Amino acid sequence: MSIELVDASLFASTDPVALQGSACASCGAHVFPAATSCPMCAGVDVSNVALPTEGTVWSWTTQNFAPKAPFRTDEFHPFSIGYVDLGSVIVEGWLLHKTEWVIGEPVRLALAKAWTNDDGTVVHTYGFEAI
Amino acid sequence: MSGANIDNEVYIVGGGMTEFGRFDGEDQELAEQAMREALADCGITWNEVDFAVGGTNGETKPDNMVARMGLTGLPFITVKNGCATGGVALMTARNGLIAEGRDVAVVVGYDNHARGAFAASPARYGIGGWYGETGMMVTTSYFALKIKRYLHEHGIDERTLGYVSEKAFDYGSAHPLAWRRKPVSVEEALESDMINAPLTRFMFCSPDAGAVALVLARGKRAFELCENPIRLAAVELRGRRPGSFEVFSPWLSPGERTSPSIDAAKAAFETAGITADQVQVAQLQDTDSGAEIIHLGETGLCANGEQGAGYLNGDYKIDGRLPVNTDGGCLANGEPVGASGLRQVHEVMRQLQGRALGQQVPNNPRIGFTHVYGAPGISACTVLVKEGANS
Repeated sequence: MSIELVDASLFASTDPVALQGSACASCGAHVFPAATSCPMCAGVDVSNVALPTEGTVWSWTTQNFAPKAPFRTDEFHPFSIGYVDLGSVIVEGWLLHKTEWVIGEPVRLALAKAWTNDDGTVVHTYGFEAI
Repeated sequence: MSGANIDNEVYIVGGGMTEFGRFDGEDQELAEQAMREALADCGITWNEVDFAVGGTNGETKPDNMVARMGLTGLPFITVKNGCATGGVALMTARNGLIAEGRDVAVVVGYDNHARGAFAASPARYGIGGWYGETGMMVTTSYFALKIKRYLHEHGIDERTLGYVSEKAFDYGSAHPLAWRRKPVSVEEALESDMINAPLTRFMFCSPDAGAVALVLARGKRAFELCENPIRLAAVELRGRRPGSFEVFSPWLSPGERTSPSIDAAKAAFETAGITADQVQVAQLQDTDSGAEIIHLGETGLCANGEQGAGYLNGDYKIDGRLPVNTDGGCLANGEPVGASGLRQVHEVMRQLQGRALGQQVPNNPRIGFTHVYGAPGISACTVLVKEGANS
C-alpha cells in the first residue's frame, strides 16, 4: 500500500523512511533534494543516494505564526523547524513532537502528517524526532 | 587624497530621502520627491544629469521616471537585486560614470510594499512546492535559524538581541524620517511576542514605503557641485559561494561556512585601501536584530563573538567605538527594498558631512562603511571617505 507524500521525489523509500539526495562524482558533495548538477563544484556527474537517517540538531527555531499560502495544514499549532546535521549534508525539516530543542541533540528521520486532502487522504512529509 | 587620478574618482554630492513608513499613493511619487530633493541638495537641475540608475522590487519601471523628471534623452538603467538593489544601483552608476566618461549621475531606489512579511513563491527560487506547503518558505524562520546557530557557535548570550533592538529604536525615535519612532527597552524587546525563537516582534523589520536618491559626480565636477563631497572609495558586489547559509535552503553544506558579506566587505576594504578598524560610522543590513550581530562579524568590523560584550559596553552606539545604524537601520525604518541600501549611504553621507538628520556621531567621523545583503545570497558593501581624510 502506498502512502501519500508532499513530494515523492524527496524520498528514497518510505518503509523504512529515507530521504533521497544526490551525490557528486567529482567533489563528493551531497545535496537535498536530489539535483541533476552539483552547485558546489558545478559538476554534472551526479547520482541519487539515500541519505543517513540519524543526525544531530544543527540549529532550530519555532514557527509561532501560521505561514501564508501555499502553507497547508488542517489546524495550525506552533511547530519547530531545524537543520539536522546528517554528516554528509545538513538538511532542513520539521522537528517533531516538541518546541524546545538543544543544538547537538540526536534525532532520527520520521514521517509526519502534513495535512488531510478533501477526499480524506492524509498527506505526509518528513521530520526528525528526538532519539 | 593620494596621487590617484581624480578623473577616475566618483563622489556623492547630494542626497534626498522621503519619510519611510506607510504611504497611500504611487511609489514613483516618492521616487520623484527624493530625486528632486537630491538635485536641490547640490543645486543642479535634471537637465544637467547625464546618466541615471534606478531600482525597485515592485512592478513599476524606474527608467520611466523620465516621464516625471523630463525627457532629456539620458540613458537610464534599471536594476532589481532584492535587498541588495541599492548597492547594485550605486555600483552601476559609479562604473557607468567612469567607463563612459560621464560627469553626473542620479541613483534612485524606491518601493511601496503591502503590509506583512513577503510571501515568496518556491518556484521563483527553483524549489519544489512542498517547501512552501510545509511552512518552510518563510524568511523570518530563516533569520531565526541563522542567528540561533551563530550565537551558539560564538558563545553570545541571546539577550544581546534585545540590545540591538533597543539601540535601533532609540536612534529611530530621534530621526525625523524614520518609521518607528518609539523607544523600546531591552526587556520589552526580549519579552514581546515570540515570532520565531529566539526572535520576538521587536526584533524584525517590516516591509514599508520610501525612496532615496543620490547625486554622484566624477572628478573635479564633484567639487564644483559640493563643498564637501564624499568619495565613493569602494563599492563591491559579491554572490554566494559553496558553504554560505542563505534563505530558502533545504540543505546546507557541512564544510567551511562562507558568506557573500564576508567577500564583499573584504573586497571593499581592499579596493579602498582601508582596514575595518579605521571605520568610524557604519550601516549594516539589520533585517532582524540577529542580522546586525552576524554582519558585524562577517564584515570584519568586530571579531566573531565580541558582540556580546560589545553591545553591553555600548561599542556600537553613537558615542561608542563604532556607531552602527545611527538612523535606526531597517529595524526602525522598515525596508522598502529598492530604497534601503541607498538610505544607508544617505545616512553615512550626512554623518560624514556633519549634518545628520537624527543623532550626529561626534568628533567629525571621516570614514564610513555600508553593507546590504539579501536573497538569493548577494551582498554589496561601500567604503565612503570624507575628502581630506588621508591628507
